[in-house]
Amino acid sequence: MVSPYSQFRPSFRCSRRSFLKGCGMVAAALGLSSEMVPSLVEAAASNTRPSVIWLHFQECTGCSEGLLRASHPDLASLILDIISLDYHETVMAAAGRQAEEALKSALEKGRGRYICVVEGGIPTKDGGIYCKIAGKTALELLHEVAGPAAAVIAIGTCASYGGIQAAHPNPTGAKGVGDILEGVPVVNVPGCPPNPISFLGTVLHYLTFKRLPECDALGRPLFAYGRKIHDHCERRPHFDEGRFAERFGDEGHKSGFCLYKVGCKGPSTYSNCPAVRFNDAGVWPVYTGHGCVGCTEPGFWDTMTPFYERLPDVPIPGDRGIVSSAEGAGKTVLGVTAAAMAVHAAVGIGKRLVKGSSKEKKGE
Amino acid sequence: MEYRHYQVWGVLMRLYHWAFVLSMGTLAVTGLYIHSPWSLTFLEDVRRFPVAEMRMLHFEAAYVFIAATLLRVYLCFFGSKYERIWDFAPVTPRNVKGFFMALGRYLYLVDTPSRRLGHNPLAGLAYILTMAVALFQVLTGLMLLYPESGLWQGMGAWLSITQQQARFYHHLAMWYFFLFGMLHLYILIWNENYHPEGLISSMFSGKKFHGPQEG
Repeated sequence: MVSPYSQFRPSFRCSRRSFLKGCGMVAAALGLSSEMVPSLVEAAASNTRPSVIWLHFQECTGCSEGLLRASHPDLASLILDIISLDYHETVMAAAGRQAEEALKSALEKGRGRYICVVEGGIPTKDGGIYCKIAGKTALELLHEVAGPAAAVIAIGTCASYGGIQAAHPNPTGAKGVGDILEGVPVVNVPGCPPNPISFLGTVLHYLTFKRLPECDALGRPLFAYGRKIHDHCERRPHFDEGRFAERFGDEGHKSGFCLYKVGCKGPSTYSNCPAVRFNDAGVWPVYTGHGCVGCTEPGFWDTMTPFYERLPDVPIPGDRGIVSSAEGAGKTVLGVTAAAMAVHAAVGIGKRLVKGSSKEKKGE
Repeated sequence: MEYRHYQVWGVLMRLYHWAFVLSMGTLAVTGLYIHSPWSLTFLEDVRRFPVAEMRMLHFEAAYVFIAATLLRVYLCFFGSKYERIWDFAPVTPRNVKGFFMALGRYLYLVDTPSRRLGHNPLAGLAYILTMAVALFQVLTGLMLLYPESGLWQGMGAWLSITQQQARFYHHLAMWYFFLFGMLHLYILIWNENYHPEGLISSMFSGKKFHGPQEG
């Protein structure tokens, strides 16, 4: 019997075991049943690797770093194995004229079929002169490359919504890909940086099902951005009970209590961070003791700052947490009861004293 | 026979009774919700915490329940003549006799009604049992509420009860209160029907309407 996994090309960079493991991780992140893993494997191992053209605009390369320098090396190589990365300025060996040739040939060969990945915001003010590559503005490059693409994936918050460049007062008029392109399907994978699994999941979903994953109103795939961080957070019980870190380094912080009061933005941020986590070590910001800054939300530099102050309009259950509130009410109830008993006892003793003295009088 | 009003239950006893009833009802309803919470997703957003709010209500009612239980224990020793435990605990010869009299009456074996103003010793035994279960609920409840407290954890270790067992017994004992509540209401109405002495109104006014009593 020929196993479906035996069709792997020998040129694969990662072992069969880690390849399957990576596909399994992605299937879990996508919320697919394990029965779908063979389909993912088949799609990922197919010989027609999609051509990917990766554009860099106003960015820090942190998204590429996060993806390719993932502590899980198999994940990075898996990404490079399932796609044909034909143009990526920071990873490719070519430079100058050779690089431009590579872009040109990739555009011609894969017209209408390649995936365009965009990293970084696009300046639109003053004719887009604030970001130029090879004499072309980011705007021109985006229209030239992303226009004829089969699909566009905006990786990171900058490419999705403009990111830090678009923060007030947005001097360069930076925008996200979805705000500029028309007529091309765009999927946003925001985050600063986004989880490699979310990006890989989007690509593998496209390869397996030949369509882009279902997205929310902000263009983010629901499998990764469908739920609030707050609702999956490992510190959530502390929020409900009213146990908070009031300052960094205090007893509550050392005890691992909720970081809401030191500025966590989990209650209004949608992402899979608490479930999927980062760097193969099971960590994510809240785990390490730092609140969420809301980096997957549009305009988070403006709407989520100050980062170290609590979000307005997020009520804490029972006002100061259910246990301490109930304790406050309980102390009052117990105090009133004790007072009632004391009064009762005092009246009893008083009555006996009065009776005793009247008896004495009778005895006289 | 001469019937007249007798003052039986003091203010604290009546307050205890209603605090106990209301807190127990709240605890049972919220406890059932905590045991098996349901939710409507459209009710849930950043501002809604159905489970947390139910738990808070449970804890607040629990403090009322603790206060009521402590108050009843106090009245067992320092209350009025009829509120004291020796008046109704079936341990003295008079109360043992009263216990079988009441049992016989409820089984329609005896026709003469109880001639006591306070609890009959059969009811007294039920109330003592209820107090014991209430104390058990208080202790297991506090153990569950403060899972990190040395005091309550120590008590659990001393009784060799784990958190999970405490939770299970706490839930199990809740059904005793349903059972007790049903029997209590039935016996009350039965008594009012056969021996109209104002048993129900006595929990509001403190007074019973009664003929000549024994001893």
